[in-house]
Amino acid sequence: MSNIWSIGGGKGGSGKSFFAGNLGILLARKGYRTLLIDADLGAANLHTIIGIPHPEKSISDFINKKAGTLEETAVPASTPNLFLISGAMNNLDIANLAYEQKMRLMRNIARLPYEYILLDLGAGTSFNTIDYFMISHAGIFVTTPEPTSIENIYRLIRSVYFRKIRQVVKTHDFRILTEEAGKRNSSATVSHPDVFLQMVKELDPEKGDTLERELQAFQFKLTLNQLRKQDNPKTGELICKIIERHLGLKMSFAGNISFDDHVHDSVCRKVSFVDCYPYTQTALDLRECCRTLLEDVEKHAIVQAVQKRVDA
Amino acid sequence: MKRHGEQNHYELMEISPGASPLEIRRAYKKIFDLYQDDSIASYSFFSERERREILARLEEAYLTLIDAESRAAYDRGLMERGLLEEEKQYHDKTKDPVPIYDFKKVHAGAQGPLKRQEEMKRRAAQNPVIQSILAQDRIAGADLRRIRMEMDVPIEEVAAKTNVRMEMLRAIEEEHYDLFLPRVYMIGFLRSYARYLHLDENIAVGGYFKRVEERKQV
Ligand SMILES: Nc1ncnc2c1ncn2[C@@H]1O[C@H](COP(=O)(O)OP(=O)(O)OP(=O)(O)O)[C@@H](O)[C@H]1O
Ligand SMILES: [Mg+2]
Repeated sequence: MSNIWSIGGGKGGSGKSFFAGNLGILLARKGYRTLLIDADLGAANLHTIIGIPHPEKSISDFINKKAGTLEETAVPASTPNLFLISGAMNNLDIANLAYEQKMRLMRNIARLPYEYILLDLGAGTSFNTIDYFMISHAGIFVTTPEPTSIENIYRLIRSVYFRKIRQVVKTHDFRILTEEAGKRNSSATVSHPDVFLQMVKELDPEKGDTLERELQAFQFKLTLNQLRKQDNPKTGELICKIIERHLGLKMSFAGNISFDDHVHDSVCRKVSFVDCYPYTQTALDLRECCRTLLEDVEKHAIVQAVQKRVDA
Repeated sequence: MKRHGEQNHYELMEISPGASPLEIRRAYKKIFDLYQDDSIASYSFFSERERREILARLEEAYLTLIDAESRAAYDRGLMERGLLEEEKQYHDKTKDPVPIYDFKKVHAGAQGPLKRQEEMKRRAAQNPVIQSILAQDRIAGADLRRIRMEMDVPIEEVAAKTNVRMEMLRAIEEEHYDLFLPRVYMIGFLRSYARYLHLDENIAVGGYFKRVEERKQV
């Protein structure tokens, strides 16, 4: 089974595509068969970041049924082992997919034969974005060290979390739970998702267990992009800590990525950053981040295996 | 994991009930960093009111646990409710049977008052965070607290050594203007505070009141 990672962020321009593209290259270079999917339909630009100026095929060929399978729309990048399904569209109308189309797309993504599939998502918390997290094993949230960007990340994480809950808890129950949670938590303006888990466990222990397992299977990760010298390098860790203490979910920090003017330059020249400027701090940060993420995969696999044995 | 509002003091500070005063102090500093005023990590998450509440709760936990007597009373309360086992309690073996911890005595005994004063003076002069705060035009209550934290001086130590009431010190750090006494008194309090922390009195007092004047106008 492939490892699907969604790369999201609440705010445009935080560097989701930059991060996704370069992470894809690094994974491929390590020998993993890797697929990048540009899911920011209508505003696709991932192909430029990995140095494919004009991809010949795109996701719209699958949606319009010009291509028989989703797999057929993948094009190889210049890096061995790396493939891209471009989100470039010639018709802007279909940027918002109908429900059926979206479901078909999701189903087919989950079946693709790659070791790593990275989904580059558009900004924001719309349903279109959140749904991709539901078929993913991890969400990598990219933020810059600016209050507005961080605020949006919190909102996005909360939405993803609640969406996970809603997958398990039926709509009707969910409404009752929302009201109950509101009563228990009336003084706080911050809603506490962990109140939900606690309540589901009380009301329906079996469902509570399912939910807990579901939530544990999904990994929340954070990277802080465009960090400048004057920024506090501990901010990312602090954000994770706040999320752990106040949203009751485990979020691991994947690392800081330094700001570098060469990024702009590499995008303009349509060459990938890690290939073009491998000796910069930013490239070093990206490699370090990749390493941390891969280590986490191993750790997580061990924990899940142990969990399965305990459950059995 | 328990919800934030329901945690006991130990859980709130993420320490074990057997934590030593040193560990308590360290934990306090670490968590304080999370919620302090210039942390963008918490700025974006909480309303100002929520953050104040959390800081107040944290400070209450810290003050309760750092004082041997109040900690013992708090532990008794936990034990009565079955939330703490006796053997898990903190027990300072080196000090048997004198009170578990008294910061005045420990500082005097462990380091000697002179050595500690010297250490504080050095920190006040060299710590980059403190220096950058003192270079500001305006100095907020939170800045003062930040300096105090950087110097590792608990608020009750300032209160004990300067004879300024703890509530007053807190009003200064939290800028609760409604609790302020007439200005001449406040200036005196601030001077003592600054002097005890080895800060330039004029800079600290001047910077603080510049901010107070501004805030009062809005
Ligand atoms: N570490 C960095 N240092 C300098 N510039 C960066 C860095 N990361 C990203 N950028 C720049 O920020 C801009 C936005 O990056 P990118 O397109 O990856 O963001 P995005 O989150 O995908 O945006 P959108 O939401 O519009 O898809 C680009 O111009 C890119 O060159
Ligand atoms: Mg993008």
